[in-house]
Amino acid sequence: MSVPTGVCATAAAVRTGERSAVEVVQEALMRIAARDGAINAFTTVTEERALTAAAAVDAQRAAGRDPGPLAGVPFAVKNLYDVANIATVAGSHIDLDRAPASRDAALVRRLAEHGAVLVGALNMDEYAYGFSTENSYYGATRNPHDPARVAGGSSGGSAAAVVASLVPLALGSDTNGSIRVPAALCGVFGLRPTFGRLSRAGMRLFAASLDVGGPFARSVEDLAVAYDALQGADPDDPACTTRPPEPVMPVLRQGFGGIRVAVATGYFSSQGAPEAFAAVERVAAAVGASQRIEVPAAGLARAAAMIVTSVEGAELHLPDLIVHAAEFDPMTRARFLAGALVPGAWYAHAQRLRRWYCQELTKLFLDVDVVLAPATPYPAFPIGQVSIELGGQQLPAAGHLGVFTQPLSFAGLPTLAAPVVQTGSLPLGVQIVAAPWREDLAFRVAAAAEELGVLASPSPIAG
Amino acid sequence: MAEPFDPALYVPQAAAALGLPLAPEDLGDVIGAFAVLARVAFPVMAFPLPEELIAAAVFVPGERTCG
Repeated sequence: MSVPTGVCATAAAVRTGERSAVEVVQEALMRIAARDGAINAFTTVTEERALTAAAAVDAQRAAGRDPGPLAGVPFAVKNLYDVANIATVAGSHIDLDRAPASRDAALVRRLAEHGAVLVGALNMDEYAYGFSTENSYYGATRNPHDPARVAGGSSGGSAAAVVASLVPLALGSDTNGSIRVPAALCGVFGLRPTFGRLSRAGMRLFAASLDVGGPFARSVEDLAVAYDALQGADPDDPACTTRPPEPVMPVLRQGFGGIRVAVATGYFSSQGAPEAFAAVERVAAAVGASQRIEVPAAGLARAAAMIVTSVEGAELHLPDLIVHAAEFDPMTRARFLAGALVPGAWYAHAQRLRRWYCQELTKLFLDVDVVLAPATPYPAFPIGQVSIELGGQQLPAAGHLGVFTQPLSFAGLPTLAAPVVQTGSLPLGVQIVAAPWREDLAFRVAAAAEELGVLASPSPIAG
Repeated sequence: MAEPFDPALYVPQAAAALGLPLAPEDLGDVIGAFAVLARVAFPVMAFPLPEELIAAAVFVPGERTCG
């Protein structure tokens, strides 16, 4: 079997005719068939559709038309994205008999319009309510670096499929960290764009005022080319911006000169293992980030995010909770039920606090352009582990994974999660955080740090 | 200061008000999950906010709604 390549390399080979899209997709299907059994990233493989789409890409090229910047690139999506003719189960057992989707989600269509080829749907925590992809019905997705450990979640299937090179590109979603946490634990690049940047039409949401979709890939350039293809207004999502697309590929290699990079301290330098903070310092040293800043009220923001999430998630599923709660995954059931009981004043106050917090962070970005913070407090833990000891305190092993991601997404900030080069240990990630709508700055810092050798997606030993 | 609130009393009553049946085998876990929310809600509710600070109808980060 030939060595799989990344997004840009694959597209370049297909566009020049060096390789056919059908050949590329067939190889991806063979890798999935051979290796996904050990990882459990895929819940559906769309083989027939994929081969048809790949043949169409090849036909386009044969007719003299450019199939696009993602020509022939195999990709897969978290199974909360609508895929035509397949039930969008969002990790649930309850919705197995749901009517198949009538069309693809907007972001799936965008990638396909740029030449990419969908090869399947990916595992996740039920309705995205989790950080570990330990799904009781579809099984846990295993971390390709150590199959006894979690992949992170809730987009665990997406991160695992990419780092195992089953596909070079995947889509996930992030409410409180569900792209950034699995990206960090699996060792891939993942982007949570500014809230409202990308269309969510055709995605089954979890907490609508927090949810975003975003890509995973194994290099900054691969992430950037996918992100650029995903941009654009969409009236089908009321939260989607009407701003014109702001592509990052043209500015990717401009370096970090002139960008004021700071390290988040205080809240973001406690409640984690020393190696998580050491990873941030390694990146900070490489990009010359000497400034330290404290994100105001980060703990309060996380608390408010938990309330908002629990209420919005429970309300969305209330009819099912009333009629058949027993069919919910035991991993999510109690939290969904509890969220339904939250007093209205807690929710309204949390949303008003969010606006105050957002104003405070706007002030913070007057003095800095990019903030570095750990992505997770520790690397992947063994599947099934319930609690973890940190500083003499027992904490929920999965729940605490979001401690550093939740306060940032609560303000809707664009954040690029990137794997920090380590030696002899499990992957760990850094969050590269920018002001709203400034994904370009996060990408430029990430690209420069990747060139300097401090960011890279580690290959699993078995992969 | 001890909190007088008891989730074990609140949870079954709030569920009844919502018409949400709670299976006996789930009750303990739901009480536990609600207790976590109550714990994190305490500092949120204690944080004073001016009346004129309104939540956005559609959340837009970093622009007029945040400035």
